[in-house]
Amino acid sequence: MITLGNYLALSGIIFSLGLVGVMTSRNVLKVLLSLELLLAASNISFVAFSKFNGDYAGQLIVFFVILVAAAEVAIGLAIIVVMYRRLSTIQADELKSMKW
Amino acid sequence: MSPYFFYLFAAVLIFASLCVVLARNPLYNVLALVVAIFSLSCLFILLEAYFVGMILLLVYAGAVLVFFLFVVMCLNLNTVTLSSPQQSRFRVLGSLVGLAFAASFGLATTSFIKAQYMEASSIRGTIETVGKILFTDYLLPFELTSLLLLIAIFGIVSLAQGALSTGKDTENL
Repeated sequence: MITLGNYLALSGIIFSLGLVGVMTSRNVLKVLLSLELLLAASNISFVAFSKFNGDYAGQLIVFFVILVAAAEVAIGLAIIVVMYRRLSTIQADELKSMKW
Repeated sequence: MSPYFFYLFAAVLIFASLCVVLARNPLYNVLALVVAIFSLSCLFILLEAYFVGMILLLVYAGAVLVFFLFVVMCLNLNTVTLSSPQQSRFRVLGSLVGLAFAASFGLATTSFIKAQYMEASSIRGTIETVGKILFTDYLLPFELTSLLLLIAIFGIVSLAQGALSTGKDTENL
């Protein structure tokens, strides 16, 4: 029998993996991909709580999270492209100045 | 039947997430995230959240991650730009923080005793049921997301224009 606890444990594992990815990678693209993992982990919790509490609000919040994540990815990738054109690298350590 | 599917998709999801974090080549990172999103969508369908599962598949795996692939290929990243001479200073610290988070999540999940006994409700997140709530109770946030997407489009256009104009400047120099 799969309980709410199983889904929450899975969500915790994925969140921790994403957090390690965000903190350890120097590649900006990889940081953005790990951020997607963090959002996916929270989505698992939302949908699992929605199912086990009998409330649709969790699924609607996941819908909004997907929309916001799409906008965030679009802006983030645009920033990465600009960064690659200016610095010809996508290593986070190369971003030393606060201003272009 | 359902428990085996849960463990199968959970295992695929964890393995794909590990690949996202550990793989060297950005192309493999993106493809691993596609696999992760696919298994996540399968988990949502196991939870009878059909609408959200399909949206995740279409919007995430179909649009967002293909966008990622386009950028990875456009940037023409070779091994010289990717290989870093020294490892990140935060590698050990980041792994420790991740482990601490995992431990605290494990503690929180096991101490949340009620989670083991809660019965799954009979709600089914079909397009009909979710759509009804989306267009009644959640109409204002739904309309506001269009504003958010519009602002995102403005941001991208202004970033791209700035990049184009500076590209011309450096060419002239």
